[in-house]
Amino acid sequence: MTFSLNVTGSDLILMLPEIILTLWLCGILIVDFAMPKLPKEQLAYLSVCGLAIVLANLVWFDLEGVSGALFANMFVLDRMALFFKILIVGATMLVLLASRDYVQRFRFFKGEYYFLVLMSALGMMLMASPNDLLSMFITLEFSTFGFYVLVAYLREDAASNEAGLKFFILGVFAAGLLTYGISLVYGETGKIVFSEIAATAWTPGLTIGFLLIFASLGFKIGAVPFHSWIPDTYHGAPTPITAFLSIAPKAATFAILVRLFFVSLAALKPAWVLLLVGVSILSMTYGNIVAIAQKNIKRLLAYSGIAQIGNVLIGLAAGTKMGEDAILFYLLTYVFANVGAFAVVIAVSNLIRSDEIEDYSGLNRRSPFLAFAMLVFLLSLAGVPPLAGFIGKLYIFLAAIKEELYTLIMVGLVNIVISMYYYLIIVKKMYINEPIDRSPLTVSPSMQAVIYVGLAGTLVLGIYPKPFIEWAVAATLMFSNFAPAAAVAPVVLPFGG
Amino acid sequence: MVPLSYYVILSAIVFTTGLVGVLIRRNIIIILLSIELMLNATNINFVAFSRYLGNVSGQVFVFFTLTVAAAEVAVGLAIIIALYRSKSSINVDEFQLLKW
Repeated sequence: MTFSLNVTGSDLILMLPEIILTLWLCGILIVDFAMPKLPKEQLAYLSVCGLAIVLANLVWFDLEGVSGALFANMFVLDRMALFFKILIVGATMLVLLASRDYVQRFRFFKGEYYFLVLMSALGMMLMASPNDLLSMFITLEFSTFGFYVLVAYLREDAASNEAGLKFFILGVFAAGLLTYGISLVYGETGKIVFSEIAATAWTPGLTIGFLLIFASLGFKIGAVPFHSWIPDTYHGAPTPITAFLSIAPKAATFAILVRLFFVSLAALKPAWVLLLVGVSILSMTYGNIVAIAQKNIKRLLAYSGIAQIGNVLIGLAAGTKMGEDAILFYLLTYVFANVGAFAVVIAVSNLIRSDEIEDYSGLNRRSPFLAFAMLVFLLSLAGVPPLAGFIGKLYIFLAAIKEELYTLIMVGLVNIVISMYYYLIIVKKMYINEPIDRSPLTVSPSMQAVIYVGLAGTLVLGIYPKPFIEWAVAATLMFSNFAPAAAVAPVVLPFGG
Repeated sequence: MVPLSYYVILSAIVFTTGLVGVLIRRNIIIILLSIELMLNATNINFVAFSRYLGNVSGQVFVFFTLTVAAAEVAVGLAIIIALYRSKSSINVDEFQLLKW
């Protein structure tokens, strides 16, 4: 039992984006402490700058085709990890821009807010690359700790505290299930590296272990029956954090789910397809039906998010390379549409201090820009052509058709109709109902920027999706034969080294 | 030498105690303690398996579980103090502002 850990400088380059972000967020904390007179919104721009550097670095790695594994195979960098990292960093940038005005509501600790958001982003970037159960556990917990604090950030607001408590207890409970599941899998196989586990038969320990791990990851993505924290946490949390929580951790968890199911459990596909079909049907149906009754827009988006996760799980249930591509592309469309929709909610809440759907009445008269943006985002979430959501749904259904999961597709199609109903209720309120207060609303420049990025993404992905689909397809090349992936990916370094 | 199954049964009992505690107790501190029980049940499992398999990665895992548990308590108690200041109570039934 000897350990050897040889890490050289050139290996560490694989972690360069994470290292830059770590240094940058320490810098943010120091600047916040050393320059108390600096207006806090400057910190928002500083954080966005740091993320822009990280994003440029990630894109460079992606173009160069950098890949490899580090730390005794615990940290792996491949095209898929890069895809998810770019997605997470992009979403974090939009969330930071969107929170610039909202942060004015905090009485204390405005600077630490940016630090915590960057910290969670760092955790989620690491979540895109774990290659064994240990790094999976650590990165999952790392990214969640920041969120526990962020959800309870409005200290004077009882709803925010309560949301923080509920999120915390269920999150830690899920961590307990996760570690116990991991210990059973470890006891049964003696291995913790994903590719070495390569289960071939269900033994009792393995079955219970993987079910516990799945339950815990289900908590993170908020799939039914593990969704109970979602509506309350979304409702009580500061709205930019709700937006962040609804996208980034879910995308990062899907990176883990894909690796777990496609690498460790590849040989056992027939058994887990049924499990995923069940969870997917429950999530879509429950989310969409309960969303109809909601009066608060954040709760409505929470339930619609549960339903959207059900849609993404269709791709996982298909269990093919195509299903995998569809997941990646769907998450891409979901980021733009959901951040956009939440950006409108934040803008409205900054101006009228309300999240009730009733207060969206006649929004078109007060701010045609906000109403139009909300219309586009909701239609994209519902899956109306020619918007991004339509291509995403089409792709995911095609992947399921190839696997002949007809029941799942029928349920999915019925659910699109149900979701259309409650999305269109909001549209009707915005465009047809008369406003109670007629004063026009002016949107701040940073909110406008976020909404424009969301609109551009939703339209471009809908009208010209080809390059993005090619990107998703290239990101999952390693699953092309859907066989256990090679234990050690060949190391390709930048500078042609 | 004590057979492996004894350890696994012990850890299953401890884990179930924690699980039931989270579900039925109403005091947040007790809930937090029950969650610690769940995590410690895991540690028993890891150490027992590690010894039995002659593989050290289980023991490494225990260190990280302990660290994560400590960090969780730090964050959790901070949230509980914030709640106590506003409600003067740590009974979960008192927190019904949002529909559960």
